[in-house]
Amino acid sequence: MEEAKAYIETGILELYVLGQLDAREQQEVEEMATKYAAVKAEISAIEVAMEQYAIKHAIEPTSGLDKQIFEKISISANEVNTDKGSAPVNHSSINHHSLNHSSSINNHAAINSGSAINHGAKIVPLNADHAASTIKTLRYALVACVGLLVVSVVALYSTHDKLTTANQQILALNVDKEKFASTVSFMKDENKDLQEIATIAADPTWKAVKLAGTKISPQANMMVYWHKQGQHVMVDNTKMALPQNDAAHQYQLWAIVDGKPVDLGVFDATAEPKKLLVAMKEVGNAQAFAVTLEKRGGSISPTMEKMVAMGGVSI
Amino acid sequence: MAPNKKISLTEEDLVRALKDREKIAIQALYDMYSGALLGVIFRIVQHSEIAEDLLQDTFIKIWNSADNYDSSKGRLFTWMINIARNLSIDKLRSKDFRNANKNQDIENNVDFIDQQRKITFNADTMGLKDMVTALKPEFNSVLDMVYFKGYTHVEAAEELNLPLGTVKTRIRMAIMELRKHFN
Repeated sequence: MEEAKAYIETGILELYVLGQLDAREQQEVEEMATKYAAVKAEISAIEVAMEQYAIKHAIEPTSGLDKQIFEKISISANEVNTDKGSAPVNHSSINHHSLNHSSSINNHAAINSGSAINHGAKIVPLNADHAASTIKTLRYALVACVGLLVVSVVALYSTHDKLTTANQQILALNVDKEKFASTVSFMKDENKDLQEIATIAADPTWKAVKLAGTKISPQANMMVYWHKQGQHVMVDNTKMALPQNDAAHQYQLWAIVDGKPVDLGVFDATAEPKKLLVAMKEVGNAQAFAVTLEKRGGSISPTMEKMVAMGGVSI
Repeated sequence: MAPNKKISLTEEDLVRALKDREKIAIQALYDMYSGALLGVIFRIVQHSEIAEDLLQDTFIKIWNSADNYDSSKGRLFTWMINIARNLSIDKLRSKDFRNANKNQDIENNVDFIDQQRKITFNADTMGLKDMVTALKPEFNSVLDMVYFKGYTHVEAAEELNLPLGTVKTRIRMAIMELRKHFN
C-alpha cells in the first residue's frame, strides 16, 4: 500500500488522465492500476473531477450540428449494415472480420469526407477569397495602368504631331509676314514716289520733258522731270517705254547744254522697276535731254548712233 | 428526437451501445458531452467555426474508433476528451490553420473578439469563474494551460519557466482542489 501511495503522490496519474504520457509510461500506469485498487480509484477520482471541470466549461454547440453529425454517422453505419446483409456467411467470426474491415475503410472515408467539407466549405475559401480578390484587384489595376499608358502614349504622340504642325505653320506665317512686310514697305515707297510725281505735275517750277523715239527705236519714249532752280533731274519709270537693256549695257541720260552733252548718270529699263522715280545727277541749265545705250556704268561721251530718245526743253 | 428531450444513459450502457454500433449511443454522447467537448476544443483553437468542425470530426472518430476504447483503462469521457484535444492540437499546428489565422482581416478579428466576449460573459461560466478564483491561481493556470490550451506539461514548464517537478505538483494540487470542490 505504501508503494501505491508514493506512486499516487508523484502526480503521474494526473498526467495520465490529461493524456500527457508516452506509450511506455501509460503502460506502467495501467500495470500499477491493475496491481493496486487504490491507484485505480485515484485515477477514477481524477477523471471524474476533470469531467466535471469540462462540463462546467461547456459551450453549447450551434443547434443542428447534431443532425449533421448523425447524418455522417448514418451514412457509414448504413454502409456497414449493407455490407453485413450482403455477406451470406453465417460464420460469426468471418462476419466479425468483414465488419471490422469495412468499418476501417469507412473510417477513412468518413474522416476524409468530413475534413474535405471542413476545409473546402469553411476554411479554405476564406483564404482563397482574400487572395483571389486581391489578385483580381491587382489584375484590374494592372490592366487599367496599361490602358492609361497606351492612352498617354497616343495622346503624347498626337500632341507631338500637332506641335510639329504648329511649328511648321508658325514658320510659314513668319515667311508670309516677312513677305507682307516687304510688300508693305515697297508699296509705301511706291506711294511716296507717286505722290511726288503728283506734286511734280502740279508744281510749275518742275518741268516735264517728254523724250521721243529716234530713227533706231521709233517706239521709244520717256519722261524726265527737271527742276531748274534746284537743279534736280528725275526719270519717271511709270512713263517709260524703252526696250529692256541687257546685263552688259545700261541707258545713259545726257543733258544738252549749249550744244554739248553733259552726263547725268545711268539707269535701267526693266519690266518691274524698283522705284518709280529715279534721281539723276544735277544740272542747272539744259536745252534738251537725250538717252543713249552705253556699256554698263556709262561712257564719258555719248555714242550718237545708239541714241534712242531725245526731247527739247520747252520754255 | 425532440430537442429538449435529452438522452442520458449510464456509462456501462453507453459503452456497450457504442461498441454495438447503435446510433442511440452517439445521440446520448452528443446530448451529454458535446458542450463539454466543444468547451475544450474552442479554448484550444479559439475559433468557433473551426471548433464546431472539430467537434464533428471528434464524434465521427469516436464512432469509428469505438473498438479501440478499453473501459478497464479509464472512463469513456477521458478517452473522448483526449480524442478531441488531439484533433484540436493537430489542427492548431496544421499549416492551413496557421495561414487562416495569419490572413484574418480586421472584420474577422472583430467577430473573433465578440465570440470571445460572448463566452467570457456567459452566465454559466460566471459561476465557474468565482469557483476558479477561489483556487490558487498559480496552480490553476498550469492545469488550464494543459487542459484547455493545448500545451503539453513540458511546454507549460518552459513557458512558465518552472522546473518540470513544480509543474507536475501544481497540476496535482489544482486537481486536488477541483476534487474537493466537486465532492
